[in-house]
Amino acid sequence: MHIVVCLKQVPDTANVRINPETNTLMREGAESITNPFDEYALEQALRLKDAHGARVTTLTMGPSQAEVVLREAIARGADQGFLISDQAFAGSDTWATSYVISRAIKKLRPAADIVLFGKQAIDGETAQVGPGVSEFLNYKLVTYARSITVGTDGRFTAETLMDEGIEVIECSLPVVATVLREALPPRYATLAGWMRARRVKIPAWDASRLGVVPDLCGLKGSPTRVVKIFAPPMKAGGIRMDGREMPSLAVEAILRILRDKGVAK
Amino acid sequence: MNTPSPPPPSSPLNVDILCVGAGVASLATVLALLRSHKKNGGGNPPPRVVVLEKSRSIGNHVLSGAVIDPAAFEGLLDDAEILRLPVEAHVTREAFRFLAGARVSLPIPWVPPMMRAQGFPIGSLSKITRHLALLCEAEGAEIYCGFAVAELLEDETGRIIGARTGARGMNRSGQPKSNYAPSEEIRARAIVLGEGTCGYLTERLIAAHGMQACRPQTYALGVKELVEIPENEARCGEILHTFGHPAGIGDYGGGFVYHTSATEVMVGYVYGLDYARPETDIHALFRRFKAHPAIAPHMAGGKVVAYGAKTIPEGGLFSVPSLVTDGALIVGDSGGLLDSLRIKGIHMAMQSGRLAGETLAAAWRVDNFGVTGLAAYERALRDSPIWRQLRRVRNVRASFSRNIALGVAAAGCAWLTHGVLPWWKVSMEPDHVALRPARRGVATTPSHPEVSPLSPDHLTDVFLSGTIHDEDQPCHLLILDREKCTECITRYGAPCRHFCPAEVYRLEDGQIHTDFSNCVHCKTCQIKDPYANIRWTPPNGGDGPRYTRI
Repeated sequence: MHIVVCLKQVPDTANVRINPETNTLMREGAESITNPFDEYALEQALRLKDAHGARVTTLTMGPSQAEVVLREAIARGADQGFLISDQAFAGSDTWATSYVISRAIKKLRPAADIVLFGKQAIDGETAQVGPGVSEFLNYKLVTYARSITVGTDGRFTAETLMDEGIEVIECSLPVVATVLREALPPRYATLAGWMRARRVKIPAWDASRLGVVPDLCGLKGSPTRVVKIFAPPMKAGGIRMDGREMPSLAVEAILRILRDKGVAK
Repeated sequence: MNTPSPPPPSSPLNVDILCVGAGVASLATVLALLRSHKKNGGGNPPPRVVVLEKSRSIGNHVLSGAVIDPAAFEGLLDDAEILRLPVEAHVTREAFRFLAGARVSLPIPWVPPMMRAQGFPIGSLSKITRHLALLCEAEGAEIYCGFAVAELLEDETGRIIGARTGARGMNRSGQPKSNYAPSEEIRARAIVLGEGTCGYLTERLIAAHGMQACRPQTYALGVKELVEIPENEARCGEILHTFGHPAGIGDYGGGFVYHTSATEVMVGYVYGLDYARPETDIHALFRRFKAHPAIAPHMAGGKVVAYGAKTIPEGGLFSVPSLVTDGALIVGDSGGLLDSLRIKGIHMAMQSGRLAGETLAAAWRVDNFGVTGLAAYERALRDSPIWRQLRRVRNVRASFSRNIALGVAAAGCAWLTHGVLPWWKVSMEPDHVALRPARRGVATTPSHPEVSPLSPDHLTDVFLSGTIHDEDQPCHLLILDREKCTECITRYGAPCRHFCPAEVYRLEDGQIHTDFSNCVHCKTCQIKDPYANIRWTPPNGGDGPRYTRI
């Protein structure tokens, strides 16, 4: 079984601030990290590898410094990594990104059986690239998976978290799935793993190597236009009940408000 | 299927030199070692050098003022490399003020000669550390972040032969979770301890190997904020040091204001941990310092964007332990190498690292990492300018602990007589002994200035330090004896609530609660707890503050 995990390097949004004048990201002081959702996707892949002896390949699309997310994945137990990087890809929206990544996945041999993504990236929050890639690859799509298993017969089973409850989806391979943070927590990279990952060669694939049509990637290939970015106005900070002295009074007060709003009986 | 995968068999990893901590002392050691080998190694293969750092990425646990004495870089970096350091500004204007009370301040007409810093680089030591790490990696060193070293390994003769990383992925009660990662063992020919102040392994090594100094180490706590201000090109490069308010007349405390760029000011407050009053809250003193009319204008219209706190080993010469043992040596803050008159440690850390690195290169050539091979480090240190400075100011800090007049007198004498006077050893007790019982019936809650973007409260500052700990892990702050807490609450009024600059300790229902996820790894609690009842231990590797630009 060949599992591909797509990773994205994102700014650590815990530290990112928006410049109030220009409405642009202030990256000063913000570190780059692996998109946290993608770490859960990788963990799913490594669990399948532990159980079935799969090959785990990681991909990332980004500038050369994004390579570190591949090395970190290898330190955790992935087998190899490919960096998809070209000036021509700069400014790609989710459509163009899906196209480029799907081209890279098509190049992999043996063909990917399972392609995993995090549910979404914490910078763009679109949750579109995983589904986009499934379209370009013509693979089945399972979103919001919190656990994935593959039976001995090669049937793919995923528990997905829906608003109403848990949906269990069963299908045949190949499949693209996006993974939630409700899945098992990612394992730590070991020191021995990092020492190995440091020496692994990471091939870089550019536009010509992937054979992508230049008009379909980068800013030119992106139907989306970012017209404006702005920080939404701060919400007024709700009502606070101080329950430290008399918790029961606070509970009563909260219940009263909920009743007034018709939420509680 | 979703059961934890079996831990991989842990075979020891073999390296030549292992450095614990990727601060400037360690990195200077690595750089000097690899460059010295390149120059004098006669074409022999270089040692495999590995640095382990407990923070998530390099520089995250590095905090300093920092006005850097350029002596730091001597023999380590060439002129072109010094120019490429990520230093935002150089000191253009320096001032020294005495804050006499909450409103009045007196300029000291001349900056004392030993304090002068004209032209010195100022900037974020965290950034400089990241830069040094790149230089080390270019020389072939391997640096791995997110690994706390929990234990040193010794053979039966007491020789240090390796180290063990801390296990990760345990829950609050110490049971393995699904992502449990067992500790890993690393074997090394020699280990460099550059853990920073009050090092976890260093302290234990010193105790176990009888390497103690003749006087216990004494510390100060430094708290610091980075403030973004409206552009003010004229002030860039201006620095100000103060003493006096809000410290009392008998206290050892002072503040600093560094304009590191046109839009950034670093503001900090340093306070000796030998204070007596258990209700002392250094974060609160810092806020009162910032509110002083001599300080506030420096930050006008600004906003605090980053916070950090660290302890500073101030004991000086008489508190420097033996720095060499069989298979290991100690560099930088871990060895108490700090000029306690100027409260400058970066140059001493880096220069001690340089000498350690050169010693290790020579030891690698002759394959001798025993005491005889490494002793050259201590000898070289004793012949170096940093040791001369340590000798010169050896009694200054202890004199200040008596009172400020004696301190100033000692500083002056030390300077004028090049350290001949005072010739004796001024004694000083350990910081935690200095605490006096709380006065009965006096509920002392220090008054705080109003919370504002320039005066954040404790918890806002904790947020700005970026500190993060997985909360489902064993508490890394060990309270050794809960009964002593009860006694401490009655006798001292639970001073841990006040001295912690990250509000880790809470008193609730007569019990001390530890919100360890707030911890910024400064170790004040271990130093100042009157019963020495708190042990700081390393949490999961990768946890802790995230200093990046401070």
